[in-house]
This record gives sequence, structure tokens and C-alpha cells, in this order.
Amino acid sequence: MQVMNDDRRYGAVAQLFHWAIVALIIVQFILANRADDLPLGPAKIATLALHKSFGMTIFALAILRLLWRLMNRVPTMPLNTPGWQRIAAHISHGALYALIMITPLFGWLMSSARNFPVSWFGLFTFPDLVQPNKPLYDFFHEAHETLATTLLVLAIAHALAALKHHFLDRDNVLRRMLPLKLKSDGRL
Amino acid sequence: MRNRSQARVLLATCILTLAGLALAATQWQMQPKQSTLTFIGKQAGAEFEGVFEKFTADIKFDPKDLAGSRFDVQIDMNSVNSRDGERDTTIKSADLFNVKRWPTGHYVADKFVDRGAGKFSATGKLTLRDVTREVPIEFTFETKGGATWLKGTANLKRLDFGIGQGEWKDTATVANEVKIRFALLLR
Repeated sequence: MQVMNDDRRYGAVAQLFHWAIVALIIVQFILANRADDLPLGPAKIATLALHKSFGMTIFALAILRLLWRLMNRVPTMPLNTPGWQRIAAHISHGALYALIMITPLFGWLMSSARNFPVSWFGLFTFPDLVQPNKPLYDFFHEAHETLATTLLVLAIAHALAALKHHFLDRDNVLRRMLPLKLKSDGRL
Repeated sequence: MRNRSQARVLLATCILTLAGLALAATQWQMQPKQSTLTFIGKQAGAEFEGVFEKFTADIKFDPKDLAGSRFDVQIDMNSVNSRDGERDTTIKSADLFNVKRWPTGHYVADKFVDRGAGKFSATGKLTLRDVTREVPIEFTFETKGGATWLKGTANLKRLDFGIGQGEWKDTATVANEVKIRFALLLR
């Protein structure tokens, strides 16, 4: 498969970024829910440490992914896409990019505000962004959860739209983000 | 005659007392506002700092009279502040400090060694919970601009003192090693 994107499809690197981030986000929700149910103890600290390590991984992947996108063509939308759908797609894609960067950033900020510094799998520690501060922690905590919920809702809408393209419109919109051959019936 | 011998005894006592005072290392007053006692723990691979807000240090120290020097530090374990209320509550609980049963930590050092270049080391006994262990410290003793600072470090293992019962015995998440840092302003 091609490495770079072209007008018709995403290349291997863009696909890898996309699906790695999808998988990590799913893991993040599982870990966050598990940690929420635990009392403060080694198990909770370990679970949150994993959540933070994956979160910082998403943060780094998101930045690299954005850079990669700027270096690549973006496949064009199907020619018959209505105007409102084009606008909706642009807004939701922009919002998803923003959220996969801002959500981890707020997680990092909330860790700093609570004096629970962020380590990356125990290999190195990220610097604290703010001084410990309870009201600030409460704000970042709330914001992190709201951002995560927004990300989840948007990602589900995004996935449903892709499935609609695949099964109802029968076009290449989902296929081009998968290692599948494109339909060559002339429709993009 | 009797008066005279009494006077002699009194004089002798005075001389001996003065000599004793001159021999004993300087008694310092720790300034609580500027002095800090910090610990650095490690959880899930990341270090975090906390302090003890309340402690007293009875410091007798003279670089020229190490034999007469002595540190006696009392730590209010309830005053632990890791800048997170939930963590502080956990640290004070029965499985860790157990401040209800053992509210005070105690450190006494009376064996000092001059390491040269303004550096010293001491061996002392640290009591946390109901365990007493030898803990060496390293420190500098400096007077600069009229302020005398005693600054140093120590390393200890929390499980040596039973700080970590039950699930907290696990050292994979919360490391056994704890670093101590102190800076005492003396007057």
C-alpha cells in the first residue's frame, strides 16, 4: 500500500495514525472507568499511570498526525456530497483533531495541579505545567471529562457517518481509510 | 572557715559550669518559618514532593566540636502535606503513617564526621511508627550573610519502618525508596 495520501485514499501512515489513536482512545475510556471505581491505592495509581502513559502517547501521535496531514494531500470528498455535509465533515474533523490534542493536555494539566506528575511508562517524567492547586485541579478535571465525553460523542457520529457512506451510499469513504481496494465504479 | 570553703565550692562549680558551656557545641535555635523538611516519593515512576509543616529541631552543632554535637528532631506526622488532600489522608491512615497511634517521628544523631570542604555526615536513629533504624545523613553547615543554614539529604526505605501495610507493601507502584531533604535556618 502507498505510504503517502493521494486524492483518492489515505496512505499507510495516515491509516496507522488513525487506527492506533482509535484503539488507544477505547483503552483510555476503559482505564478511566476502572480507575474511577477504585479507592486510592496501588491499583488505582497503577491504572491511572497506564491511562496517563497512553494519554501522552495519544498526545504525541496527534501532533505527528497533524504534521503528517499538513505534508500530505487530503483525499477529496465524493463529488455528490451536499454542501451541509461538507461543512459538517470539516467541522467535525477539525474538532476531532483538536480534541485528541486538548483532552490529553488537560489530563496532563490536572495531574500537575494535583501534584501527581505524569510518567511515560516509568521511563521518563513529563515536567509539571502548573503548581499544585485544588480549585485549578477541579477545573481541569471537569474540563478533561467534558472534553473526553465530547470526543466520544463526535467519534461515534464520525463512525456512523463512515458506516452510512459504506453501507448506504456504497462509496469509498470508509474503504480509503482501510487497507482495502477501492471500488472502481468511478465514484470517489 | 566554713564560709570560705563554701565559697570555694561555689567558685569551683561556676568554673566547671562555664568550662562545660564552652566545651559543649553551640546551641542553635531553628527558625520554623524558613526551615523545611521535604520528602520525595516515587509513584508509578514519577517523583512527587511533600513536606512536613510542623517539626522541631534541637541542634547543638559546632564544626570544631563534633563530639559535643547533637541533633534531636521531632516531626509531627500529622503535618504531612503532599499538596493533595486525598493523598495526605491516605498517607496518615493506619496502613501508612498511622498518625493516630504514632503521631510523632523522631530523629537523634550524635555521631558526626567531617567530610571536608564544609561537608559533614552523621549517623542517627530514626523512629517512625514503632520502628527505630539507623539512618545516615549528609549535610553542609554554612554561614552566609549572617544566616546559618544546615542543609542536607538522607535516603531511606519506607518498608524498613513498616510504612506500607497490606496492599501498600507493593513497591511496583509506590517505590520503597524515599528521599529526604532538609534546610534549617539557625540562629
